[in-house]
Amino acid sequence: MSSSYILRRVGYGLILMLGVVVLNFLLIRLAPGDPAVVIAGEMGGASDEMLASIREEYGLNKPVITQLGIYVGNVLQGDLGKSFFFDQPVSSLIGQRIGATILLVITAQILSILLGVFLGVIAARKPNGVMSGFVSVFATIGYAVPVFWTGIMLIILFASVLPIFPVEGMQSVRLRSAGGLTWALDVAHHLVLPAFTLAIIYLAQYARLSRASMLEVLGSDYIRTARAKGAAEKTVLFKHALRNAALPILTVAGLQFGNLISGALLVETVFNWPGMGRLAFDSILRRDYPTIMGVLFFASAMVVVANILTDISYRWADPRLRGKS
Amino acid sequence: MTDTPDYKAESPAREAWRMFRRNVPALVGMVILAFIVLATLYGTFFYSGDPYDVVWAPHEAPGVTPEYPLGTDYLGRDIMAGMLTGGGPTLAVGAAAAAITMVIGIALGSLAGFYGGWIDNLLMRITEFFQVLPALLFAMVLVTLFEPSLWTIAIAIGVVSWPQTARLTRAEFLRIKELEYVTAARAIGARNMRIMWKVILPNAMPPLIVSATLTIGIAILFEAGLSFLGLGDPNVMSWGLMIGANRDYILDAWWPVTFPGLAIFFTVFAVSLIGDGLNDAFNPKLRER
Amino acid sequence: MTALLDINDLRVTFNTRYGQVTALDGVSLHVNAGETLGVVGESGCGKSITALATMGLIPSPPGRIAGGSIRLDGEELVGARPSRLRAMRGADIAMIFQEPMTSLNPVFTVGDQIAEAIMLHQKVSHDQALKDAVALLDRVGIPSPKARVHDYPHQLSGGMRQRVMIAMAVSCRPKVLIADEPTTALDVTVQAQIFDLLNEIQRDFGAAIVLITHDMGAISEMADRVAVMYAGRIIEEARADDVLDFPQHPYARGLIDCIPALGREDHALKEIPGVVPPLHLLGAGCAFAERCEHANERCRREKPLLVNHDHHPAACHAVEEGRI
Ligand SMILES: Nc1ncnc2c1ncn2[C@@H]1O[C@H](COP(=O)(O)OP(=O)(O)O)[C@@H](O)[C@H]1O
Ligand code: SF4
Ligand SMILES: [Mg+2]
Repeated sequence: MSSSYILRRVGYGLILMLGVVVLNFLLIRLAPGDPAVVIAGEMGGASDEMLASIREEYGLNKPVITQLGIYVGNVLQGDLGKSFFFDQPVSSLIGQRIGATILLVITAQILSILLGVFLGVIAARKPNGVMSGFVSVFATIGYAVPVFWTGIMLIILFASVLPIFPVEGMQSVRLRSAGGLTWALDVAHHLVLPAFTLAIIYLAQYARLSRASMLEVLGSDYIRTARAKGAAEKTVLFKHALRNAALPILTVAGLQFGNLISGALLVETVFNWPGMGRLAFDSILRRDYPTIMGVLFFASAMVVVANILTDISYRWADPRLRGKS
Repeated sequence: MTDTPDYKAESPAREAWRMFRRNVPALVGMVILAFIVLATLYGTFFYSGDPYDVVWAPHEAPGVTPEYPLGTDYLGRDIMAGMLTGGGPTLAVGAAAAAITMVIGIALGSLAGFYGGWIDNLLMRITEFFQVLPALLFAMVLVTLFEPSLWTIAIAIGVVSWPQTARLTRAEFLRIKELEYVTAARAIGARNMRIMWKVILPNAMPPLIVSATLTIGIAILFEAGLSFLGLGDPNVMSWGLMIGANRDYILDAWWPVTFPGLAIFFTVFAVSLIGDGLNDAFNPKLRER
Repeated sequence: MTALLDINDLRVTFNTRYGQVTALDGVSLHVNAGETLGVVGESGCGKSITALATMGLIPSPPGRIAGGSIRLDGEELVGARPSRLRAMRGADIAMIFQEPMTSLNPVFTVGDQIAEAIMLHQKVSHDQALKDAVALLDRVGIPSPKARVHDYPHQLSGGMRQRVMIAMAVSCRPKVLIADEPTTALDVTVQAQIFDLLNEIQRDFGAAIVLITHDMGAISEMADRVAVMYAGRIIEEARADDVLDFPQHPYARGLIDCIPALGREDHALKEIPGVVPPLHLLGAGCAFAERCEHANERCRREKPLLVNHDHHPAACHAVEEGRI
């Protein structure tokens, strides 16, 4: 694959991010009321000095276009403003939490793709079989359950009926200072329920999609060729068919990433997972706009990165696209 | 079923309706949805009560006290009353948000698909930009900035959800505008607006109708999520709000969160069964697989 | 002497929405070692199904082999264990398909796809198999095979892809090679090259070839014997010259009449009027009766059998009665 394609793709991603920055700027100005008050948040009456220092930092006395310049310049230097509620720079607030969100989202994504594709492939082997029926029903149910409610139901189940997984937080209190493997296992243990909750919706959709995609591919001529060579059914299914059926799945996986992050906001709130979602929720309740805007910026950045990675892997997976621009 | 269907006598819409009527899951969806809508509209005639009133001891289990068949919540409020009144805002916001989504999506998608060139380019870049913003987070921001009310929530959901519809509309317009009858309409001198709305759009309707149905389901889930987070209209009881209000006590009482959740689930489930049924009805070929 | 490939009274049925239909109704064929058998007939008469049944590749469901026998070198294939069939497919009996554009997997290089065919049946390393693949590509006339072996199918033309398919099919030196309309999808100039290649391949590799085609010119050049199919049955079978010079069955006569005169590019081909009846509408009588100028009461009542007449076997009452 050409590195110029990657460069162009990254450049376009940066432009989209610039768009997000401008949008953030506009939103704060469009909100009813004095921007300085909006930025200060509901602090129970921000002091005049505080408002003055905000006006100074954001250049709120200057023309709007200058304000935009100052804002963009600050963001470029990694300065997303300061949270007056947490009394910390927004970037460090997010820095402490973005790892937890990435861990949750990536785990859920991998879980849902692996399990979903597996179910879909099995179902596709018998288009009218029991498994196919199960996948269709499961997909419709998975689509219709509110993700936060799934989480709550799982908490009730695992807290009172079957207490084998922790239902809250990311670490056990008693293991807080533990290191290495113990720590990792503890986090993984805490990750099970949130990741599974988040994965369920998408798992169902990937199962339905991969079933349809496999059925289409299994009817194609090159599958017959593979059989005519004497390839075993397993090889036909998992090598020849799945490599082709995976292409639409990859596309959808990329498109779903934004929704996955939206779902993660709710799941983090339900399970007290210490990620950006919790932060967004807490800061929205306090109308802590710099933090909210920072979360929106980083969450969008995650989507942009995921889209770039999807595009690149799609080109890698489909030789017909390699070398084209 | 006859061996040779009589093609000439039947319009596509009628044929779709005939297929839809035979689709058992879709009919089940219709029945569930009709039940939920009727209960939401007329339920309070038969069972009155203010969902905000504290009427009984907190956390009364369902089925214990006949006056409060679904029990009470952590404050002692009647859950049955909440169930019957809480559907209204959810359904209304869902429908309004889906309508807004479709209007924005169809308007931008049809312009992009019909005119192509720089208009298409510009509109698609905007669409991509909106797809980068995680929808729920963006909606949360909008709702907080502009004070939550049923209208702002519906508009916020519409503003974050339209890109998919726009892409679908654009793809349909790109496909249909090359077809013969569009060329024919051009040949007799029809104006662009007429071709777009009177010739192409009606033929693009089947997938858009399916998409609109599914959009209603997604919008309902959206509204529920926002209300759950406490970002809904604070003066209106809704299913999502009931779950959010009771979530700190789920280990003491399962019922205040379970019933509203089931209601949301069955609503969206019914809508998506109908959507799948419409999809099958409009694409009879796919059923042969 | 027993034939290399011996198909006897083969019946294949499909479950369709019109109920069960019989796609092959008692097909018998044989091919001797080193021989080329041509199979001709209009679209939909069961040629591909015969080929797929022989490969053990009838899509099932909805299809199944409902009766008869297929023997390769004396070994019965109908009802053989799937693992045994897999071991023979690609090794003892191989097939080339009609659609070179879609018959290769788009996500693997042609070299890998040929190498896979080799490694499925021979204990060789991937490197060795790739080297063999290069030699095979060279053998089927692909220029600069060392470079092409790393190409993906979409980088090759239709004719080149069909050469790749041929290379893959002969990679394990099969005893029988079935070519199902190998040139239908190709340009006229390329068609002749592919037929030449098949001829050479047969000389070098000594495989028996079953050539399914519409191209009567190719039949006259390549085939030793010809079987004519109609609506799931063989309706005439003999040495190629006999069928071409003295067609018996009215359908075979029609097909031969359709050949443009030699050396003339006649595009206004004569056609047999009417179409092959759908399988679910086949009645008790001769399937060709609707389109036949010699049809009478008996034809509509009773299916004619493939029996020897003056020249050679044909399934027609009129021929039997000496009316034509
Ligand atoms: N999957 C299938 N289901 C039902 N009928 C089939 C199927 N495949 C083939 N047939 C029927 O079998 C008959 C023979 O088809 P085929 O062997 O492909 O014809 P051809 O001689 O053109 O190669 C056709 O009439 C077709 O309708
Ligand atoms: S059997 Fe009768 S109908 Fe059939 S081909 Fe012969 S003459 Fe024609
Ligand atoms: Mg064929």
